[in-house]
Amino acid sequence: MSADAFPSDRGALVRTEGLTMRFGGLAALNDVSLSVERGGVHAIIGPNGAGKSTFFNCLTGVLKPTAGRIVVNGEDVAGLPPHAISRKSIARSYQVTNLLRGATVLENVRVAAQSRHHPWRLHRHYRAYHQVIDQALAVIDAVGLRGKEEDLASNLSHGEQRTLEIAIALATEPMLLCLDEPTAGMSAAETRQTVELIRRIAGDLTVLIVEHDMDVVMGLARTVTVLHYGELLAAGSPAEIQADPRVLEVYLKT
Amino acid sequence: MARRSGYWIGFFLVLGALGAAPLVLPEFWRRFVTEILIWGLLAMSSDILIGYTGVVSFGHSAFFGLGMYGAAFGLLRFRPNLWLALAFGLLAAATVAAFVAYFSTRLRDIYFSICTLVFSQIFYVIIFTWTEVTGGENGLVFRQPPLSVPGWQRAFTPATLHWFVLSIVTLTYLALRQVTRSPFGMVLQAIRENESRTMAIGYDVKRYKIVAVMLSGLCAGLAGILYAVQNRFVAPNFVFFDVSGEVVIFNVLGGMGTLVGPVLGAAVFFLLREGLSRYFTEYYLIPVGMIFMLTVIFLPQGLLGFLRRQLNQ
Repeated sequence: MSADAFPSDRGALVRTEGLTMRFGGLAALNDVSLSVERGGVHAIIGPNGAGKSTFFNCLTGVLKPTAGRIVVNGEDVAGLPPHAISRKSIARSYQVTNLLRGATVLENVRVAAQSRHHPWRLHRHYRAYHQVIDQALAVIDAVGLRGKEEDLASNLSHGEQRTLEIAIALATEPMLLCLDEPTAGMSAAETRQTVELIRRIAGDLTVLIVEHDMDVVMGLARTVTVLHYGELLAAGSPAEIQADPRVLEVYLKT
Repeated sequence: MARRSGYWIGFFLVLGALGAAPLVLPEFWRRFVTEILIWGLLAMSSDILIGYTGVVSFGHSAFFGLGMYGAAFGLLRFRPNLWLALAFGLLAAATVAAFVAYFSTRLRDIYFSICTLVFSQIFYVIIFTWTEVTGGENGLVFRQPPLSVPGWQRAFTPATLHWFVLSIVTLTYLALRQVTRSPFGMVLQAIRENESRTMAIGYDVKRYKIVAVMLSGLCAGLAGILYAVQNRFVAPNFVFFDVSGEVVIFNVLGGMGTLVGPVLGAAVFFLLREGLSRYFTEYYLIPVGMIFMLTVIFLPQGLLGFLRRQLNQ
């Protein structure tokens, strides 16, 4: 593994250095430097308006950061457009469900998988590319949406749509999977299932998760980073974070 | 499997009927059917953008017109050769399509539409005023090139012209159908469903749109060439934006995202115009407009979408 060849870089999959995002006079992110280790689930928490989503949007190319670097595998990716970020093996799900609503579950996942194969073929039927379809079906199987392949994405339940979000992201074969509040709006049972799913997939890849639900975070995450008014407040293990007086103060206030 | 063979049965029935049309129809209607095929091809080309990519072009008259004028230029300045006209027309349409695609795909939604509209009007003004080359307001008149293959040529008769047009429209349809179901075509449909999501899974949406606009423009140019060959003249009013508007109407009437729907839409539109203008003279657009609105309200999938649903039941 290349990670072993460079022991100094071992562990850090993503590192931000002085990441800053200003909207006019407002700094949604101010000089945030953090690093995400390889493997496991890492959480970013913070009260509303802390800059969590802005951080995600900078990381996935939706926003171009005003200043700072985002280093993935030793390469600065800050300011690259979303499709280029995706090709750096970073995938994301959205806080507000963002699917191809008029397409089937299979097509949602298949077209995502296809982006890693030969999307520029114009003359052959897309179904002739069995490998892409098999890969999509494997992902659908893995997230537990089997039997729903031919359903339209818009006809799925809310929980299933959230799961499909994750399936689409997984189909692009990411190293880093960014989940923006994956359990938002879910029932307790659905939340449990999603937590299980995230735990299962985190074995193979690194998951970065933005979450409000403290129980979800504390049960899942290896490390927790707390943002507050766009600044890094604290970082550490879940136990350390739960005992940190500054964090308690921020969360009690809101 | 049953659906697939049903499709091909339908395909060959329609193709057979269109092929037999010049043998059984009187002169006026023969011309009429050929013309519908040409306008249908133009509408079909626009469907690649409206129906599959989810962006509405209001500039298809520019591609159509440049195909026309390119063909006329080749015929008048070089030789009256059909294939030369095709080559010139396609080259002109492709150049303009590349130009429009480069700029318009930077914009989204209505801004894309406006951008295509503005460009088509720019080309209209250029064609209208550049009299030395384009003949200005009067357009250009030329002789019809013969149907030729190396070593053989024969002047077009209404029937052979019809078959020539029919074969080009059919081949273009089959090619576009293949493209819409290719991996590339599936990306276009993903863009239609959700542009930001398509970007997030690794597709450079702008590049896909550029290729879509160019493909669409090329097919529209082909329609322009056929129209020029059929009518032996070109005129600036074919580059004017009301042509682009009609193309959008064909799509909505017939059913977007089906390729054949827009051809049906063109046929219905011309039949309506033909029938209604006998009673309403130049006010025929009033009842046509009302029918159009009723279609949008009651048949949002267009005529073909409606027929399909009836047949599936």
